[in-house]
Amino acid sequence: CPRGSVRCQVSLPDLFDRAVMLSHYIHSLSSDMFHEFNKQYALGRGFIPRAINSCHTSSISTPEDKEQAQQIHHGDLLNLVLTMLRSWNDPLDHLASEVHSLPKAPSALLTKATEVKEQNERLLEGIEKIVDQVHPGAKENKAYSVWSGLPSLQTADENTRLFAFYNLFRCLSRDSHKIDSYLKLLKCRIVYNNNC
Amino acid sequence: MDFNIDSTGFWLFLGHSPPGKPEILKCRSPEKETFTCWWKPGTDGGLPTNYTLTYHKEGETITYECPDYKTGGPNSCYFNKKHTSIWKIYNITINATNQMGSSSSDPHYVDVIYIVEPDPPVNLTLEVKQPEDRKPYLWIKWLPPTLVDINSGWLTLQYEIRLKPEKTAVWETHFAGRQTQFSVLSLYSGQKYLVQVRCKPDHGFWSKWSPESSIEIPSDFIVKDTTVWIF
Repeated sequence: CPRGSVRCQVSLPDLFDRAVMLSHYIHSLSSDMFHEFNKQYALGRGFIPRAINSCHTSSISTPEDKEQAQQIHHGDLLNLVLTMLRSWNDPLDHLASEVHSLPKAPSALLTKATEVKEQNERLLEGIEKIVDQVHPGAKENKAYSVWSGLPSLQTADENTRLFAFYNLFRCLSRDSHKIDSYLKLLKCRIVYNNNC
Repeated sequence: MDFNIDSTGFWLFLGHSPPGKPEILKCRSPEKETFTCWWKPGTDGGLPTNYTLTYHKEGETITYECPDYKTGGPNSCYFNKKHTSIWKIYNITINATNQMGSSSSDPHYVDVIYIVEPDPPVNLTLEVKQPEDRKPYLWIKWLPPTLVDINSGWLTLQYEIRLKPEKTAVWETHFAGRQTQFSVLSLYSGQKYLVQVRCKPDHGFWSKWSPESSIEIPSDFIVKDTTVWIF
């Protein structure tokens, strides 16, 4: 077994460290993409008022603030994270392949979209490992929220298409922040007994 | 004589006008749990003007009024924990009203996760350490800003310190990561040093620099050459 491992598994503190590093990175990339997209495509188009309350993950009920998040049992919070990560698998796949259809798509946006897609898969894998260790034998949670936004990402009407991208970037940025916040709380709760 | 003047009695208010358009200057959350917005009044039209802040939250049609005009000082609105949702966009408007009429600011959209700017760290203390067997150094330590909840992991802070001899202009900056202490080895002796620290949340803006702390580096503070004695 490699050094620092427990029963030839990566230890729980290490798994959380890696997960939090990834979730942090994913949120940074996501909010960068959102800002870059805004700068280049969204200015003056009045997207914000239209975008309100329309993420494909809106149906997943998530804690609103720190207190609420702390009251949820850690197993349930972990499952929420899993559900959210799974819900992004499909849209991130399509985002990475459709970004090039944006007029004058900047290469940084292409690179970041691919990176987020890959890191999201990696994080999902890590969280599954964490669940294995925290709740061995727990019934598998395969729930996710279905995304049906592909036609609007591919539509010929440019304004509709830009809005679809705008909304996807906005939701991604918010959800990746939720995931990052919940994981950081979970890490401090499970590994450090609330004393980070 | 029955002489009733109401606000439409324009002849009384010659030279007066409705208030100018107010402008929302900034919204800031010090700890990702509450936030405050500040605005700049427009021209007052020569009359007493009343300001209100109204907002609605993403996914809701109800219009709310500012819950607290006092805590954040003049021309501000404070949203306590109960009124702060970090995952909903707020659409905020300032309304100014005087006897001649009213005007409203442009709507301002706030997403609390993008306005996190902590207060500066506190309790910055400095100490010159002169261990016998090692080089002398300046030991700098501080505490996270009091409002921020570090223990639960809700916010993670990183720190930066800067220092300079009092009479020079250029700061020397060091990134301290997540630790709340830092040692500086190479210093000029016999000089008074100024030191400041600031912090940045995992996603958000740098705080302002803390107030300067200073320390006199003794003139016998000499970084000795390492000498190896061979017997």
